[in-house]
Amino acid sequence: MTDETEEELDLNDLDDTELVEQMHDDLYDGLRDEVVEGTEILLARGWTADKVLNVALVGGMQIVGVDFRDGILFVPEVLLAASAMKGGMGILRPLLAETGAKPIGKMVIGTVKGDIHDIGKNLVGMMMEGAGFEVVDIGINNSVEEYLAALLEHEPDILGMSALLTTTMPYMKVVVDEMVNRNIRDQYIIMVGGAPLNEEFGTAVGADVYCRDAADAADQATRLMNEKHAANV
Amino acid sequence: MSGARKRRSGGRANRVAARQSSVAVETATFIERKIPCFEILNQEALELIEYNADTLLEEVGIEFREAPAALELLNAAGAEIDGERVRFPRGLCRQLVMASAPSEYSQHARNPARTTIIGGDRTVLVPAYGSPFVRDLDGGRRYATIEDFRNFVKLTYMSPGLHHSGGTVCEPVDLPVNKRHFDMVYSHMKYSDKPFMGSVTHPDRAQDSVDMANILFGEGFLDQNTVMTSLINANSPMTFDATMLGAAKVYAENNQATVISPFILAGAMSPVTVAGTLTQILAEALAGMTYTQLVRPGAPVVFGTFASAISMQSGAPTFGTPEPSLVLYGAAALARRLKVPFRSGGGLCGSKTPDAQAAYESANTLQTAALAGVNFMLHTAGWLEGGLVMGYEKFIMDTDQANMIAVLLRGVDLSENGQAMDAIREVGPGAHFLGAAHTQANFEHAFYRSTVADNNSFEQWEEDGCQDTVARANTIWKEMLASYEAPPLDQAVDEALLAYMQQRKDSMPDQSY
Ligand code: B1M
Repeated sequence: MTDETEEELDLNDLDDTELVEQMHDDLYDGLRDEVVEGTEILLARGWTADKVLNVALVGGMQIVGVDFRDGILFVPEVLLAASAMKGGMGILRPLLAETGAKPIGKMVIGTVKGDIHDIGKNLVGMMMEGAGFEVVDIGINNSVEEYLAALLEHEPDILGMSALLTTTMPYMKVVVDEMVNRNIRDQYIIMVGGAPLNEEFGTAVGADVYCRDAADAADQATRLMNEKHAANV
Repeated sequence: MSGARKRRSGGRANRVAARQSSVAVETATFIERKIPCFEILNQEALELIEYNADTLLEEVGIEFREAPAALELLNAAGAEIDGERVRFPRGLCRQLVMASAPSEYSQHARNPARTTIIGGDRTVLVPAYGSPFVRDLDGGRRYATIEDFRNFVKLTYMSPGLHHSGGTVCEPVDLPVNKRHFDMVYSHMKYSDKPFMGSVTHPDRAQDSVDMANILFGEGFLDQNTVMTSLINANSPMTFDATMLGAAKVYAENNQATVISPFILAGAMSPVTVAGTLTQILAEALAGMTYTQLVRPGAPVVFGTFASAISMQSGAPTFGTPEPSLVLYGAAALARRLKVPFRSGGGLCGSKTPDAQAAYESANTLQTAALAGVNFMLHTAGWLEGGLVMGYEKFIMDTDQANMIAVLLRGVDLSENGQAMDAIREVGPGAHFLGAAHTQANFEHAFYRSTVADNNSFEQWEEDGCQDTVARANTIWKEMLASYEAPPLDQAVDEALLAYMQQRKDSMPDQSY
């Protein structure tokens, strides 16, 4: 891109390949309005929602993910990119539902009862949105009842729980046990994380997966959703 | 021993015993500072920050969550309440804090010889707090147990450079969540006679700590004397949660000290700049300290802060970097202007093992905290991995640093002996000082002797097994634990404590939260 054209760039003037490349850049730069516009243009040109999602948006966010992992992109930049992604997803989600295409997935995430640590959880939410997930953040200090109510209300695929205290992390088991009691455990993928946890602890509380960081959470969620879809075929 | 031959005192045995102990400085109850505090902000700058903090308190306010009684109290004192948001008229907090919060206080130990004073020109060094994991050279990284907890209480007791037994020296993950505070508080009481901290993870647990202290010190003592200093963190930005407010209330009501600590990972929990962070820290600390003074005017309260930043590339906390040092210097000056004791610092680092990263980062924060004029230095020894890990070897390395801080802050001896004019006259040009009378009289305590450093020749070091610092520290903590002897505790008191704990533990089922 040359400097002169930058100001008056009209996305409509770009052919499909150029537009997708431009959308990858716009995601990278966190330009929400531009990503929304690009999404609309591709749809107007007859692209299926599924194709826009995978080629333009997910493709772009994969680049963001790689550069975040490699320390090139900073958290505030990824936050903007995730927000731009969310903008595009807002348009695509209803269309995907209409066409019966597999949605990427939906997650309810919250910090457990007695615990107010939320920086890590917020980063996980951000990366999940960046990966195309719909994220319902129910905040901090959540009781079993609050988790269960959120599951009923939002019907997510994934339940994510975060805990930073050794005094609160065992509460995750209280939640999982109650889900087992109510025979709803197997309807959800359960992901857990937080600095004092480890793989072994995740298994012990009955979670499907322990995630060591936000990028790992997004990767694992994507993998588990793919497995779920494959199993349901 | 034959006992037959008369001997002069001295000879090999005495000197070996005196010089081989890992105890290199005499036990003190605090460090008395003789050098000035390092100031980085002039009066105009500090006034600007104070002005901005008042603007924050007035305009934005501080949230006191799920604490209706606190809201009432604050309202009655002149604050404006909007839901859970509390806005303070300009100057109100400063006025309330300065009216009743003591500038220093004694924290009594069960052994009166260990009673310390927090505030003024004194620095009290305290071990690290809160880590769920421990690490040592042999066992690696693992969840902490009550055994580890006791070990760190014992090691702290045996470390003359540490003046305080601390609080959650590590989290005994093997005990039920709702009962482990009993064993933690008891361990401080039983295995040490230094002052200690109480539990804060639930108001009931704070009350249990107070009740146990009543048994240890005798009914009625606490009301007029402070025997615990406990850690109340602000949930920055600009929020206090019900757990912390509840615990703070219990302690203040009982005349026990609290450390109100805006715990800052700048970038996530405060603005990315030093001045912005200082403004927020001051506002939060003022609001929290005001609350304690309303609960009980005159209850000891410490202006605390934990200053660190996050990696903007991952969100992980970082330590030992320059910006938090600037924050620490600034916050110490702000606390001095409020005439309240100040807590910060410690041997903070992000490293997983006691390696070079750990050493550099910890040294940076320890030095900064010492020079800034910290009064209560939590996290002085043991801290690894951003507070997730308490390290045995790291603990030993840090206590060596703690000992050095004492020497540094003692400043320059300007007595006749300190001036050393005799030595200079005696030796004159071209000779050496090793044999001079002045040197003979002073050499033993003239220079700090590190407990973990090795300054021998390469060959000797090689013969000794090429040990690095960590390996040497490993030997030291094991020797210390092997030779530990508990300070005597009155048997009736001990039994009363155990009976109280049993009765309380039996009164509730084990809970995992
Ligand atoms: C799908 O699900 C998933 C998947 C992945 C998930 C996931 C969920 N959740 C997290 N992940 C993962 O992805 C994230 C991003 O990569 C990562 O998240 P993290 O959260 O690990 O990482 C973040 C990006 C950055 N890290 C953090 O934000 C946590 C850092 C440390 C220093 C920390 C902080 C910042 C705070 N604290 Co707290 N705090 C400590 C922490 C020590 C540490 N080094 O972890 C710890 C956890 N705290 C501790 C303590 C003691 C406490 N804290 C308290 C308070 C606070 C602050 C409010 C001051 C603040 C939290 C602010 C906030 N809004 O979150 C108190 C408790 C309050 C309460 N009721 O919960 C208090 C009790 C202190 C007191 N005496 O007042 C210690 C734990 C003790 C224990 N028993 O286990 C502690 C280890 C520090 C210490 N040594 O004292 C991964 O873990």
